[in-house]
Amino acid sequence: MLKVTDIGKTYGKFTVLQNIDLEVADGEFLAIMGPSGSGKSTLINILGLLDQSYTGEYLLESKSYKDVNDNELSQIRGDQLGFVFQNFKLLTTYNVYENIEIPLIYSKKKQSKKHEMVEDVIEKVGLTGKEKNRPAELSGGQQQRVAIARAIVNRPKLIIADEPTGALDSKTSKEIMEIFTKLNQAGTTIIMVTHDSEVANYAMRTVYIRDGRLYNDEKSVKNHD
Amino acid sequence: MTDKIMIALKSIGKNKNRNFLTMLGIIIGIASVICILAIGDGFTHTVTKGMGSHDTRNKVTLQWESTSDYNTDGGFTANDASVLSKVPGVDRVKLASSIVEAGAKVQYKTKNISIGLNKQPKHLKLVKGTYFNMTGSSNGVYISEDLAHKLFKENAINRLISIDGTVFVVQGIYHIGDMNYRPDAYVSKQVFKDLFANQISKDQAKLYVQPNANKKQIGRTAVKRMKKMGEQKNIGKYSVSNPDAISKQFTRVLNDITYFIAFIAGISLLIAGIGVMNVMYITVSERRKEIGIRRAFGATSGDIRNQFLIESVVLCVIGGIIGIILGYILVAIINAFLPFKAVITAYALILSLSVSTAVGLIFGFIPSNKAAKSELVGLLKEE
Ligand SMILES: Nc1ncnc2c1ncn2[C@@H]1O[C@H](COP(=O)(O)OP(=O)(O)OP(=O)(O)O)[C@@H](O)[C@H]1O
Ligand SMILES: [Mg+2]
Repeated sequence: MLKVTDIGKTYGKFTVLQNIDLEVADGEFLAIMGPSGSGKSTLINILGLLDQSYTGEYLLESKSYKDVNDNELSQIRGDQLGFVFQNFKLLTTYNVYENIEIPLIYSKKKQSKKHEMVEDVIEKVGLTGKEKNRPAELSGGQQQRVAIARAIVNRPKLIIADEPTGALDSKTSKEIMEIFTKLNQAGTTIIMVTHDSEVANYAMRTVYIRDGRLYNDEKSVKNHD
Repeated sequence: MTDKIMIALKSIGKNKNRNFLTMLGIIIGIASVICILAIGDGFTHTVTKGMGSHDTRNKVTLQWESTSDYNTDGGFTANDASVLSKVPGVDRVKLASSIVEAGAKVQYKTKNISIGLNKQPKHLKLVKGTYFNMTGSSNGVYISEDLAHKLFKENAINRLISIDGTVFVVQGIYHIGDMNYRPDAYVSKQVFKDLFANQISKDQAKLYVQPNANKKQIGRTAVKRMKKMGEQKNIGKYSVSNPDAISKQFTRVLNDITYFIAFIAGISLLIAGIGVMNVMYITVSERRKEIGIRRAFGATSGDIRNQFLIESVVLCVIGGIIGIILGYILVAIINAFLPFKAVITAYALILSLSVSTAVGLIFGFIPSNKAAKSELVGLLKEE
């Protein structure tokens, strides 16, 4: 699915990421763990083609998007990637249906087809009947379901999730992780950031970030410390 | 496109008060544009219609003007008329006057006074005597208070005076107010026609020309002949009077006024536009999170720019439509006071909507561009 070679990123003199090497196979479910401020969000923003200012090489499906124009980047983001952001990031003035519909606004599909796709994911995440509700009228778990529905409505190949359970209790976290597992079983590649090892257990593989460096197992992290 | 307009309407609806205040400038600007155009169009319409009914098309009017400082009496004579009727292309000639009252001399005992005199009007308020419409060759006369003072010390009623040698009986006295103009004396219609009307000098000759005749050429020939043969060529000069030129000049003045008000409307629209720009800047910075989300889910920077441009245009066009409605109301009110009818044309509506759209596009462009160019990672950090 993707291959990262020696990626680095700095803000002025401050180095956020360095020497990152990572490979993710098609259909894999990867968890990225690390303490706050270690660079997790920064890394997945690069992987999600949201941040283009980095050094090193990043190939998504064997193709580099470093020097691609904005229109093409937008199209890839809309068609192939699905994001679940930290703190849901829903539009508070839009209802559930309208929030989920957003990625479809920018794709060239028939209106009836779009409607079908939205209704389909609403059912998948268990929000049937809540279409007309605003985010403020939903629980945290329900809001995260909306965010997941929005991420998968375009049937992306790769889902990038930043702390999808960060604001949820353990029971709700479990429900959300079950949705992710189902998606992964259906063939979607998932990269998920979390600081909760129980949540990370749902993934096939876990990598660790400390101070901008990537480690493949906890032992090598301890050696670093 | 309709779904994009719906999105725009929705986010405008989110901030009704703020957006209405922003629209106010456009509403006022467009309403005044509608009023100006309605008055201008109404006036032009009335003038051109009026000219049509007077039928200046087959008529050439000659004017005689006195060149003497002492005697302004004079004009065209019956002989002049027959000379003019022989000008090639002329059907018939009618003499007319731009002056309405006749000059006459009043005599009472030893007093001798020059006055202006006219046929009696339908109604007249008297200070003395009773007013009635004198029939036939009645020798009654109504005179002004002023003339009465000059002629008699008192008791003017029923006294006999001589006007140009004919004896008249004073029937009543009227007052001439400061704001009014009235001649010094009124006689009956019939008497005026019989004795005085022919004294009014005919300073205009109307030449009715054959269809398709060259009016310019006829006018020139007529003036040339009068300069040679006109009976009063020594005390006055002849010219062609041109009603078209007068209305043209009037239209030009009106145009100047229109441009001036249009300038004012332009300034109010400029200020409105700056308001729109300001509110769009605020909207863009309030909705950084929304922009970030849309960009992450496939919106190109062009999509974002269009979204805000459409919003700005929709805002202005709503303002424009309210302005047009207000314009209709104002024009209805203005029409109650105008001597002619102001009309709102389709052109005025199209112009108003185009101007609103242009204001939205021009002043929405920079804020929309700002929204489109914002850096994505920064946008996604907004809450
Ligand atoms: N715009 C920026 N300018 C300077 N430094 C930045 C900027 N954005 C992020 N950083 C720094 O980069 C580092 C990594 O940030 P990042 O958001 O990737 O952390 P994180 O691992 O996702 O943390 P958390 O678990 O709290 O979300 C932090 O130390 C942060 O201060
Ligand atoms: Mg983070």
